[in-house]
Amino acid sequence: MDALPQFDILRPRTLDELIAARTRHAESRLLGGGTDLVVNIRRGIVAPPVLIDVNGVSELGTVRADAHALEIGAAVTLADLAAHPDVLRYYPVVAQAAAHIAGPTHRAMGTVGGNLCLDTRCIYYNQSEWWRGANHHCLKTTGAICHVAPKSRGVCFATFSGDLAPALLTLDAEIDIAGPNGRRTMPLADLYIGYARQDVPMTETQGDGKYFLSLGPGEFVATVRANNTLGLRSAYDKIRIRRSIEYPVAGVAVALRRDGDTLADLRVAFTGTNPRPVRLAGTAAVCGGPLDDRVFQDLEALVRDQIMAMKTTFTPGHYRRRVAGVLARRLVQRLFDA
Amino acid sequence: MNQIMPAHNIGDYVPMIDGPEKVSGRAKFTADLVVPGALAGHIFRSPYSHAEILEIDVTEAAKLPGVKAIVTGADCDKTFGVLPIARTEHPLARDKVRYCGEPVAAVAAVDDATAKEALRRIKLKVRQLPAYHTAGAALAPDAINIHECRAHNIERDVFFELGDVAAAFAGADLVREGTYNCAEVCQNQMEMHAALADYDAVRDRITVHASTQVPYYVHLMLSQILGMDMSRIRVVKPHVGGGFGCRTETLNVELIAALLARKAGGCVRLVVNREETFITHRGRPETDIRLKIGLRKDGRVAGVECECTQRGGAHSGYGVVTILYAGSMLYAIYDLHNVKYIGKRVLTNTPPCGAFRGHGTVDVRFAFESLLDQMASEMGLDPIAVRRTNLLKVPTFTDNDLMVNSYGLPECIDWVEKASGWKERKGRLLSPNGIKKGLGFACSHYISGASKPVNWTGEPHATIKLKLDFDGSIVLLTGAAEIGQGSSTVLVQSVAEVLGLELSRIRIVTGDSDVVPKDNGSYSSRVTFMVGNAAIDAANNLKAVLIAAAARKLDAKPDEIECLGELYRAGAQDKGLTFNEVVTEALRDTGTITVTGNYSTIPESHGGKKYRGSAIGGTMGYSYAAQVVEVSVDEDTGVVTVDKVWVAHDCGRALNRLTVEGQVQGSVWMGMGQAMSEEAAYHEGLMLTANMLDYRVPTIQDSPPIEVGIIESIDPHGPFGAKEAGEGSLAAFLPALTNAIADATGLRFNDLPVTPDRVFAALEKRVREAGRKQNGGG
Repeated sequence: MDALPQFDILRPRTLDELIAARTRHAESRLLGGGTDLVVNIRRGIVAPPVLIDVNGVSELGTVRADAHALEIGAAVTLADLAAHPDVLRYYPVVAQAAAHIAGPTHRAMGTVGGNLCLDTRCIYYNQSEWWRGANHHCLKTTGAICHVAPKSRGVCFATFSGDLAPALLTLDAEIDIAGPNGRRTMPLADLYIGYARQDVPMTETQGDGKYFLSLGPGEFVATVRANNTLGLRSAYDKIRIRRSIEYPVAGVAVALRRDGDTLADLRVAFTGTNPRPVRLAGTAAVCGGPLDDRVFQDLEALVRDQIMAMKTTFTPGHYRRRVAGVLARRLVQRLFDA
Repeated sequence: MNQIMPAHNIGDYVPMIDGPEKVSGRAKFTADLVVPGALAGHIFRSPYSHAEILEIDVTEAAKLPGVKAIVTGADCDKTFGVLPIARTEHPLARDKVRYCGEPVAAVAAVDDATAKEALRRIKLKVRQLPAYHTAGAALAPDAINIHECRAHNIERDVFFELGDVAAAFAGADLVREGTYNCAEVCQNQMEMHAALADYDAVRDRITVHASTQVPYYVHLMLSQILGMDMSRIRVVKPHVGGGFGCRTETLNVELIAALLARKAGGCVRLVVNREETFITHRGRPETDIRLKIGLRKDGRVAGVECECTQRGGAHSGYGVVTILYAGSMLYAIYDLHNVKYIGKRVLTNTPPCGAFRGHGTVDVRFAFESLLDQMASEMGLDPIAVRRTNLLKVPTFTDNDLMVNSYGLPECIDWVEKASGWKERKGRLLSPNGIKKGLGFACSHYISGASKPVNWTGEPHATIKLKLDFDGSIVLLTGAAEIGQGSSTVLVQSVAEVLGLELSRIRIVTGDSDVVPKDNGSYSSRVTFMVGNAAIDAANNLKAVLIAAAARKLDAKPDEIECLGELYRAGAQDKGLTFNEVVTEALRDTGTITVTGNYSTIPESHGGKKYRGSAIGGTMGYSYAAQVVEVSVDEDTGVVTVDKVWVAHDCGRALNRLTVEGQVQGSVWMGMGQAMSEEAAYHEGLMLTANMLDYRVPTIQDSPPIEVGIIESIDPHGPFGAKEAGEGSLAAFLPALTNAIADATGLRFNDLPVTPDRVFAALEKRVREAGRKQNGGG
């Protein structure tokens, strides 16, 4: 195994100390479980001189969950979240998504903040320094082209693969962001800007696989919050080649409400497909009637329009898109029938 | 009154004798060896698939403080390779690089950071050449030669036809042909490659610790590469974390470490990372197979034609042997006549392939058992019945002169048929909502060591030394490489069994060329059979010495002495002598006792002369296996779940049931990886999957319950009747899986691995075609 390069680790005890450290060290990275970051450091993808360990910051380490609201600190581990009795009870989609992440050891270390801000992935990017050099690097690092789509005109298609984001997006979660300029709150959906559109220039709210988070310099996610909706049923499922360790080939979160025989509310979100987790737009239009073939056909059309199929993983994009739709259909049916 | 009985262990569940060290973490592997002052070695690897080297500029690297030695191809013009006929590889590329990742230069420095910085300063100037990443591209008429000595990029063409295949097909009731593609796979053993080379400049001697299956071959190649007399070299094999064949030949890792150590005049530790371990490779080649079988309506195989093309990678390695096994091992499992084989081992600009568990046999077995299953189904015959119709009658010699004595395949078939409930359940499994269930069956076999080793100088195939001294302990000295497979345990068991002693009386010393007798190493499942027989021979020789001593002391004739392990006596009325008393008596004349045990294969097992290379496949005993696999296929997602595996393995006699079961389960598991998820894939020659995330070895979550049946056919030549247990079960899993998927869905998968996207694509295609038919009809 390659030795890690030199870096310093800071261990702040409070959120203010953390903000101060982050402000002082512009090139620093936050260290939660390190299950993704340390791998990337070892591969020479990033080389932060300072790591700021967030695990000692008490404000970030708690879960509050009851029948009304959910609040999760960014340093909460995925294992703790998955096992939290009130999360399991009132926010099953969140607990299920957490339980589906990687393997047990990763969940014991990995954190909510880390998973929400998980670096986008690509087979041409998640490789060693030697490998990337031999392949002339890529857009996401120092290269000139995207090997997934060489004619992408500067757009990177690296894929977002966090499991928690789609689950929280179906709950209309919001996040608290902390940073040098204080704190702000915004919808979780606005964190993700990896639209990867080739038809319009990139902006601060329209990024790609490289610029996929809307965080400003020194900013980080501190807390994620969601309200419970009475009668909302939710679940998460994902396809993977192996049953452990894997990032999602495609992951789907569904939340819906049933009113008698009517589909009253439907929210669907995906991961493992686009450079951002995708909360499917247009699902409101399919609600209001019974759960029939028409709903599924409309849903399939929405998936076709909004879910990408790029060759960023070893598993073909076509399959990922199709199976994402299949999982969504199954979850919708299952939750409706439950 | 005499309750003393000799101790027995053969056939028991015996925990591995090196288990406590491994479980507690005390076992030292090569990378664990700490030598103060050892330099850190790192390798500069080619970023090009195929290129002429114009210049390797190391001047900037050499200027870096802390850099102690830099070696390039200029430091060594010798070649290495496991086969004397195919030593085409330089430890560090000279003139040309032939695959992405090939070592070009190496640095020894005071620490890792300095060595890595030095690598960054090395400049490689090349003229790029056309690169061939597939067998097809390398075989194209206008392709240039990757090696000048190998025209048309063919490492070896093999052809034989035994019998009359055309006539057999003409007389058959059903002839079918299929094409199959098996992706390249890697062994992915737990321990990454490592070497520690310590050069003694005063005495011009070198000691190399290496993570190898073949210390003797490493010794040979070090001598060749360093140009040093073998007597100046010492090779030590510490604990080794698995091999599965990727360490059955000398790797560039240990050779580069030695070159660096000599140049630096000191000790160099070279531990490569996981990616480099993948690229060092020696895995199973991507294989394309065209197979044609003729069947008579009773299920008898009338004739077989098999064409096999292997993408071998940039160097020869074991390639010639692999392509020969693929043909010769069509035989010795069923009663086949009229067989034609066309094999092509191709050189390509990808990392070199090698010998992977089930060497050469697995992909062809996949094709054969798949096509046979498909044809049985087409003829309305039970796939198991078809196998039974084609069983060998033993003892026999096959058409290609392979000697078959013990043959437990019929019992293997019976066992899995019964255990899986095949008769009652086949075709009657319920398929709940969108999930299709099915059962599949297949057989496989393997050798118990090659009867003719590749570097044979006429010595016995195996030699064991036993040392007995004043303390009454027996030290077993062997060169057999314990790599986690349990060879040390089985050798201790064998000696203990012959002498009727507890295992605790015996200690084993392995893997140090200064101390132990030469051994060819751990590959092709040779150790239990060959070294086990040598251990029995040695123990019998020691027993004779002890009996003679006891007879002398008891004033009896040796043939009157009864050996009860801890007690030697001249009849039931005699109080007898304790083991220690016998030892004291035995030492009186000679002092410390050492005895030797040997084993040699018999010439009849060496294969015939009917075609070039026909010795490959010859062995003293074949193992046999049968498997039933039960699957669920999710037709919505293409996800295949293995619900259960029943596997029966004929290992002659299970010397240690614990390790036999473990080996058989491990084989099934490894077969499952190749069949379902593992693939070494490339992007323009760069291995895309050289990590544990993208190279998908199944996890324990994916492991089905595996029920193991041990069949004991008692081989007439095997140690206590034993044959191999570690490889023969692997191959059958692949076709048993695809046969089960065919049973469940009606879809045949001839390309491996059968990943969910492939299943999904096939299901979609079927839906499309059904739709077209409907539209066309309506």
